[in-house]
Amino acid sequence: MIQKDTPIIELKNVNKFFGNLHVLKDISLQVHKGEVVVIIGPSGSGKSTLCRTINRLETINSGEILIEGVQIPEEGKELAALRSQIGMVFQSFNLFAHMSILDNMTLAPVDVLKMKRKDARAEAMRLLERVGVADQANKVPSQLSGGQQQRAAIARALAMHPKAMLFDEPTSALDPEMIGEVLNVMTELAAEGMTMLIVTHEMNFARRVANRVILMDGGCIVEESEPDTFFSDPQTDRAKLFLNSLNK
Amino acid sequence: MTISALLSQYGDRYLQALFETWKLTVFSFAGAFLIGILITVMRVSPIKPLRVFGDFYVQIFRNIPGAALLILLVYALPYLKIVFAYRVCVLIATTLIPSAFCSEHLMSGINTISPGQIEAARALGLSFFQMIRRVIIPQALRSTVLPMTNLLVATMLTTSLGSQVPLRPMELTGIVSYINTRSAGGVAAFAISAALYCATALLIGFAGSLIDRKVRILR
Repeated sequence: MIQKDTPIIELKNVNKFFGNLHVLKDISLQVHKGEVVVIIGPSGSGKSTLCRTINRLETINSGEILIEGVQIPEEGKELAALRSQIGMVFQSFNLFAHMSILDNMTLAPVDVLKMKRKDARAEAMRLLERVGVADQANKVPSQLSGGQQQRAAIARALAMHPKAMLFDEPTSALDPEMIGEVLNVMTELAAEGMTMLIVTHEMNFARRVANRVILMDGGCIVEESEPDTFFSDPQTDRAKLFLNSLNK
Repeated sequence: MTISALLSQYGDRYLQALFETWKLTVFSFAGAFLIGILITVMRVSPIKPLRVFGDFYVQIFRNIPGAALLILLVYALPYLKIVFAYRVCVLIATTLIPSAFCSEHLMSGINTISPGQIEAARALGLSFFQMIRRVIIPQALRSTVLPMTNLLVATMLTTSLGSQVPLRPMELTGIVSYINTRSAGGVAAFAISAALYCATALLIGFAGSLIDRKVRILR
């Protein structure tokens, strides 16, 4: 039985090393149902690594990561099952290059969730419609623009009916004019109550959409607050410095 | 003897030999392909002993001369009370050696897949075998059609090992020795076989580039 206040995602004292480099230092974090948490910070601060530990694309050295109160399994079927419940969107889209957009969408629902192909296709078309790339369904990824690919990748993750979505710098590889279309899709998702953890450099988006903003630096969470407080009244010197550097 | 004299006397034997070469090639390549995929899956699997075995297998069969392998199969195995028919010995040799090269081609095909796609497959909850079957092998195959075409030609040429043991019916190289021990065919006898090998290779190459154009992955 899931308690009402059990967070969807919870990190407890997570530490991670790359060799001697301590990339995540004693990170603790909770994301509750329907919350949108945005992680910002300079390059190399560990924010992408943090995002990737949550579905164990990166392993951790110590600490605990819980999904709905259950520790993530180390490997095997259990890990795959858990991953299927958490959507992930990458910087480089990562659509399967040899498949049409539609086949990209239905692969995991049919193979992992054992949906009927017909149902999976109908659902996929509905989702593609929603993110505005239904007319591209039969093309292969390389025939789409970056913005279209990323929207299709979001739809692919949604097709698994995830409990939460992780976004690892979803707009960093896009031309400026395509960033808006992807952020719009993400804003809609947030408005519909999707639980989201987003690593991004889009400050306006963070301010508009986030329930909570987390600033990371050197593998630590240095500030965590509501967006209005964070952007207008930062508490730490590090946050002030970071916000100043953005305004230059 | 002139080519036309050879053809009128031994024409149907050449034809029979051509079919035999084709048959050996098709069976060897099919076997090599299946074993090559299996070995490749082992080499990318998360289980270390399988990876070690796969790498070891490829090192062995990529580096052993075909004639040496055939000699081992024909003359050494009987000491272990394992006796295969000559045809089976030839087929084993012409399957195992190309299978190692097939695996090497597939590995280079796998290297063309962006690591991000593998991460996406894992993030979607695909198991190792689902990932292999739906994402990795299809892309590896599509990007290695031309090297695989070359391998098919190489496999055909390897079946000339069949001339080193008494095969009935004979394949294209064996038929030359057969003819030259009966009539003085000389170089002309070889030229006919060579032309038939060439024609087959051209056909394979043509089919290969057709398939490649059809399945190549747009990037």
